[in-house]
Amino acid sequence: MTPQAALGLPLQRPRPVRRWGAAARGFVGVLILLAAWQISVPLVGLGPYFYPAPADVAAAFVDLVRKGILPVYLADSVMRYLVGLVAGATLGIAFGVLIGMHRKAALALSPLLKFLFAIVEVAWIPIFVVWFGYGIETIVLALIYVVFFPVLYNTLLGVRTAPQILVNAVRSLGASRLQVLRLVILPSALPGIITGLRLGAGFAFRGLVFAEMVAAKTGIGYLIFEGAQSQQTARTIVGMIVMGALWLSIDQFYLRPIERATIQRWGLTVDAGERT
Amino acid sequence: MLRLPATATAVLLIALAAYWLAGVIGAEHKLAAIEPAPSARGDYRITLAFAPERFHQVLLQEKGRLVEVRGNTVFMKDVSPAALRSIARNYWVEAVTRWSGS
Repeated sequence: MTPQAALGLPLQRPRPVRRWGAAARGFVGVLILLAAWQISVPLVGLGPYFYPAPADVAAAFVDLVRKGILPVYLADSVMRYLVGLVAGATLGIAFGVLIGMHRKAALALSPLLKFLFAIVEVAWIPIFVVWFGYGIETIVLALIYVVFFPVLYNTLLGVRTAPQILVNAVRSLGASRLQVLRLVILPSALPGIITGLRLGAGFAFRGLVFAEMVAAKTGIGYLIFEGAQSQQTARTIVGMIVMGALWLSIDQFYLRPIERATIQRWGLTVDAGERT
Repeated sequence: MLRLPATATAVLLIALAAYWLAGVIGAEHKLAAIEPAPSARGDYRITLAFAPERFHQVLLQEKGRLVEVRGNTVFMKDVSPAALRSIARNYWVEAVTRWSGS
């Protein structure tokens, strides 16, 4: 019984989430930025190569779509991102569970993992290029590397904080090692895994853009790099905007709902972004 | 619970299917003008709505032997019927015509 009901007071209906209101406010912010940008162009007085106006960027966007360049680059980037994210997350979860459940594996692998974690993916890309050349293999490997560690450490944390009393209870009922994993460890580790996935997804996105700048001939990262190289600054800005919009879409349509459906649903955490 | 990701994925898949279908129908339309219908490797003139950029040239080179670029037109040799069909599926390809190869 709620406190209101206990006191005989009318129940208050929960306030509806003003999602559209928040979206409209965000849109106004974008409009203000665009207006300020447009107004600043004649004041700054530089050419479109140095400081393109929003209209130049919009024209570059239309041109890239009309010529079929942007759809292909976007599809390539999304494909590489998904492959890298799925592979990196799978490996991170598998190793996290393995190290979390086996003391010997933890002792054997921890120093190596700590050593590898210290080497950022940027340092690996040149050697991947030497081994695999310019292409999807290099980029996907870089993404796997980026995603692997946050997923691994968060999974490890989740596995190690699984309630020992539940593990003992299930074991005393005759559960096998696999059943302990399925019934206690994995459900307990799920919030950690989801947190790791969200972190990994963000890191992978940054890694993708950088890897494409260095090791690809297509993709949004390549568009950003190539635009600057060929003095088409408006194209570079289109690439940056597409990158931002893509990340917002991934976060809004996939990561946040998945997080809501798992972690927040169980009252384990509240997304700071949802409060604002 | 996960209605939003499911809806977003469904919308994305429908959009991709529509894009693919539009490409297939467009290709049929563009290739209908070629008489007789391509059945073996041949030489073709690919006309775009704009001057091809490096992106288009690289993409076309994977489908056959790019011989020359003149204005908005790319001259290609030794293009298989399947490759020709995949070229014509691109919405930025305006027309495909047979070329004598000289």
